[in-house]
Amino acid sequence: MISKTAIEQLIEKLGAENVASEKEDLLVLGYDSTPGIHCLPEVAVYPTSREGVLAAMEIAGREGLPIVPRGSGTGLSGGSVPVKGGMVLCLNRMNRILEIDEENLTATCEAGVITLDLFNATAARGLFYPPDPGSQKISTLGGNVMEDAGGLRGLKYGVTRDYVMALQCVLPDGSLLTTGGKSVKDVAGYAFKDLLVGSEGTLGIITEITVKLIPPPQAKRTILAYFDDIRAAGEAVSKIIAAKIIPSTMEIMDKATINCVEDYVKIGLPRQMAALLLIEVDGHPAMVEEDAQKVDLILRQVKAAQIHIAKDAEEAGKLAAARRTALSALARVSPTTLLEDATVPRSMLAETFAEIERLTAKYKLTVGTFGHAGDGNLHPTVLCDERNAEEMQRAHAFYDDLYDKVLAWGGTVSGEHGIGLAKKEYLARQIGAGGVKVMKRIKNAFDPKGMLNPGKIFSDDDPSTQSQVEEGFCVSH
Amino acid sequence: MSRTKEKLGNFTQLDAPKYEDVLQCMRCGFCLPTCPTFALTGRERSSPRGRVALARAVAEQKLEFTDAVKQEAFFCLDCRACTTACPSGVRAGEVMEICRSQSHQQVPLGHVGNSFRKFILQRMLPDPELMERSMLPARLYQRLGIQWLVRHSKALKLGPAWMEKAEGMLPELKAPLRPQLPVITEAVGEKRGRIGFFLGCVMTLMYPDVSRQTVRVLAYQGFDVVTPRATKCCGAPHLSEGDRQTARELALFNLDLFLQADVDYIVTDCAGCGAALKEYEELLDGETEHERLASFRAKVRDVSEFLTEVGLRTGGLKPVQKSVTYHEPCHLCHAQSISRQPRDLIQQIPGVELREMEEASWCCGSAATWGLKFSEESRQVLDRKLDNVRKTEAEILVTANPGCQLQLAWGVRERDLPVQVLHIMELLGEATP
Ligand SMILES: Cc1cc2nc3c(=O)[nH]c(=O)nc-3n(C[C@H](O)[C@H](O)[C@H](O)COP(=O)(O)OP(=O)(O)OC[C@H]3O[C@@H](n4cnc5c(N)ncnc54)[C@H](O)[C@@H]3O)c2cc1C
Ligand code: SF4
Ligand code: SF4
Repeated sequence: MISKTAIEQLIEKLGAENVASEKEDLLVLGYDSTPGIHCLPEVAVYPTSREGVLAAMEIAGREGLPIVPRGSGTGLSGGSVPVKGGMVLCLNRMNRILEIDEENLTATCEAGVITLDLFNATAARGLFYPPDPGSQKISTLGGNVMEDAGGLRGLKYGVTRDYVMALQCVLPDGSLLTTGGKSVKDVAGYAFKDLLVGSEGTLGIITEITVKLIPPPQAKRTILAYFDDIRAAGEAVSKIIAAKIIPSTMEIMDKATINCVEDYVKIGLPRQMAALLLIEVDGHPAMVEEDAQKVDLILRQVKAAQIHIAKDAEEAGKLAAARRTALSALARVSPTTLLEDATVPRSMLAETFAEIERLTAKYKLTVGTFGHAGDGNLHPTVLCDERNAEEMQRAHAFYDDLYDKVLAWGGTVSGEHGIGLAKKEYLARQIGAGGVKVMKRIKNAFDPKGMLNPGKIFSDDDPSTQSQVEEGFCVSH
Repeated sequence: MSRTKEKLGNFTQLDAPKYEDVLQCMRCGFCLPTCPTFALTGRERSSPRGRVALARAVAEQKLEFTDAVKQEAFFCLDCRACTTACPSGVRAGEVMEICRSQSHQQVPLGHVGNSFRKFILQRMLPDPELMERSMLPARLYQRLGIQWLVRHSKALKLGPAWMEKAEGMLPELKAPLRPQLPVITEAVGEKRGRIGFFLGCVMTLMYPDVSRQTVRVLAYQGFDVVTPRATKCCGAPHLSEGDRQTARELALFNLDLFLQADVDYIVTDCAGCGAALKEYEELLDGETEHERLASFRAKVRDVSEFLTEVGLRTGGLKPVQKSVTYHEPCHLCHAQSISRQPRDLIQQIPGVELREMEEASWCCGSAATWGLKFSEESRQVLDRKLDNVRKTEAEILVTANPGCQLQLAWGVRERDLPVQVLHIMELLGEATP
C-alpha cells in the first residue's frame, strides 16, 4: 500500500489538484472500454508537464508501485487498467498543441491532446491529419500511438504509425528518450520510434509526439450501398480493391448494427437490409469522378440492393458520424458488448462473414458485426450479459473458433485494439512461445524492474495477470 | 426508474437506480466531451461515465453511498447533455437525479437544515398562494427578498458567493400572473382547438410578462387557452433536490387537474416544467392507471414543439427587424430532444435573421440551484456561453426557459454586453398583433 509520505511528496511535486487518492476517484480510473475488467489503483496522478511525469515516476519507483499510463481510457483491450494496482498516470491534462509547422508539414503536441482537436487545429491551417479512430472525439494522441490506432480512413491513408515522426518519452529508469525528428528520413541506429508505437504503455511514457501532416484532398464523394446478403458486401470490397481503386474509406455494418445505430441517430438507415457499405473516394476532382463511377459499376455487378450518393458534405459527415457510434450503439441491446478485432487479408472477407454466420448459429449467440472492411478488419461483437456465465463461455468459444480460422488464413488477432489484458492467449497462439520470449526480452531491456504497465501483452506467469473476465476488483491493497 | 422492488446493493430500497440502467454503460466515453463538469475539472468521477461507474459500484457493494457520491450527485448539472451524446441509451443525469434522493436518505442534513428544506419543498412550493404571499415582500422591497433567501440559504446549501449573485439575478418583480390570468382566454379568428396552459411557478412569479405573451400568442394562433388556477408546482425542484415523494404528490394532483380540464393539448412555456411533465409517466408508474398516464403524456407539449407541430399562422405577423441568436435550454434540447422547432419558429417571424452560435446546446450554468451552490463553476460555464453569444454579434439572445433567462440576463448585465435577452414567446409576442 502506498505510504502517506509518498502521497504528500506527490502533492508537493504535482500540486494537490493533480493527485487523487480518494476511493471514489480511484474507482473510476480502474477501467477502460473493455467489458468485464475493473481494478482499483492506489493513487492517481495528473501531471501537467514532463517534469511532473518524471517526478511521479521517481516516487512510484521508490515505493515499488507499478505505473499504468492512461489517456482517455477508451482502449478496447484493457491496456490502461491497473491490473496490479499501483499508480495510474493520467495524461489527459497534458493537452497542449505545441506547434504546427507549415514548412515541414508537422505538428507537435503533448501526449494528452484529443485526436479530433489535433485534426481541427491542423484543418484550420489547411492541413490534414488523417488517422480517425471511431473514438477520435475522446481518445488521446498518446493512446493512439500506444495502440497504433487505425480509423475510418485507414485504407488509403494508413494508421497512426504512418504519421508518427518523433516521440519524446520517459523510460522507467527516469532517462529521457527522444527518437525520430522532423526529417523525413532517419536510419540512425535501431528504430526506437517504431518499437514504441503500439507498445501499449509497457516500454515508456510518451510525453510529446510529432506527427506528419499532409495536404487535404481537394474533393470527395461518399457512397452508401445496401445489400441483401452480407457476403455480397464482402465481395464488393475485394472486387473494388482488385480493380486497383483505393477509396479512403470502406466501412461495413451488418443488420444488427444498422438497427442499433438507426435507433440512436434516426437518419433513416434501412432496417431490413443485411449490410451496408460506406465508401468514400477522395483526391483530385477528376480522379474522384472516375473512381466513383468504377465503384458504382462494381456495386451493380455484385448486385447491391441500393446505391445512394451523399448529396453534400453535411450528409457525408452525418453518415461517418453514425458509423463511429456503431460499437456504443450495439451496447443498447445488452449489458455486455464483447468485441473482437480480427483482421484478415482482404480477399478472405466474404469467407470471414460466412464463418461468423456459421459460428453465430453454432453457439446460439447474438452478434453484430461492423468494421473497417477495406482493411480486412472486422469487429464481430457478441451482445451478451456478463452475469450469464454460460453465455459468456459460448461467446469465448465463438472467438476461439473464429481465431483458428483467421490465423489459418494468415490474419491477425488484433488489427488495431492491441493485446492488453484481453488477448494475451491469442497473441501466444499467433506468434508462438518463441515470439513471446523475444518480446519479453525487449520489455526487459527497457524496463528491467517490470514497473511499467505490468501484466499487459504477455503474462509473467503470475496467476493474477490472467485475463480478467470476472467482474470484481482483481487487485487492491 | 421509480421504485425498485428488491434492495439494490448499498442503495436503500426507495427510489434507487435500476441495475440495468447502470450496467448499460459500456464506458466508451462518448459522453465525456459534452459534460460541462468534466470540461471544468478533467476529473473522471465528475464525468457521466465516472458517475455511472460510481452508482454501479454502490449497486455492486464495492462502495458505500459515501459523501463523495453525494457530492457528485449534486455537482452534476442534470443538464442531460450526456443523454443526447450516449449511443447506448444511458441516462447518467437521471441516475444522478435519483442518487440525490438517495443522498437525503443516506447522508442526512442536520436537523435545522432539514426542516428548512422540508418547509420549502413540502410546504412552500406545493402551495401557490403561500408562495405568492411570501414573495410579496420581495416585490415591495427587493432587498427583503434577498433577506428571505439569506434566511433560507442553509437549507438550500448555497455556495459562498451566492448572495451577491442572487441579488443581481432577480429581475424586477411584478405582481404574479396566476391570479390575473383569466381561466379561459378565447381563440382569435378561426378556432383550431382547446389547450390547457401549464403556468409554472417561476414563470408566474418572476416572468409574468413572458407567460402573458405566451397566452396571447396561443390565442392569436387560434386556440382557446385554459389556465387552471389550482395548478401546482410541476415537481421539477423536488426531483432536482431529491424529494421524489413530494414530486409524486404534486404530479398526481396536476395529472387529475389537467385530465379533468378536457383539453386537446397541455402546453407549457417553461422547458423545466415540460421535461418534468413528460416524466410523470415514469415517476407515477404504478401509482395510477396506465391509460391515464399515457393519455396525459400524449398531450404534453413545449410551446415551440406545439406551434411547429400545428403549424404557425404567419398571416398578420408584424416584422421584427433584428438579428437573433438562440441558446438551447438543456431541459428542452437534451431532456426533450427539441432542438429544431424553436429555430423553425424564429425563422418564420418576418424580418428576423437567425445567427447560430457555437455550442448552442452547451449548458449556461444555471441548472436550478446549481448556479447558486457552485457560483464559481457556474460563472466559468456562463463565460463560455457568453463568449459564444458575443461572437455572433446578434442583437437578441433568445432562450426558452426561465432558469436560463435569469442566468443569461444576469451575465449580460454583469458583462455589459449589447444584447437583449428574451424568451422565445416574447419575440413571437412582439410579432403578434
Ligand atoms: C467507441 C469506440 C470506438 C473505437 N474505434 C476505434 C477505431 O476505429 N480504431 C482504433 O484503432 N481504435 C478504436 N477504439 C479503441 C481506442 O479508442 C483506441 O485504442 C485509442 O487509441 C485509445 O486511446 P486512449 O487515449 O483512450 O488510451 P487509453 O485507453 O487510455 O490507453 C491505451 C493504451 O495506451 C497506454 N497509454 C496511453 N497514453 C499513454 C502515454 N502517453 N504513454 C504511454 N502509454 C500510454 C495505456 O497504458 C494503454 O495501454 C475505439 C474505442 C471505442 C470506445
Ligand atoms: S454513458 Fe453512454 S456515452 Fe458515456 S461512457 Fe457510458 S455508454 Fe458511453
Ligand atoms: S447531466 Fe450534464 S453535468 Fe450531469 S453528467 Fe450528464 S453531462 Fe455531466
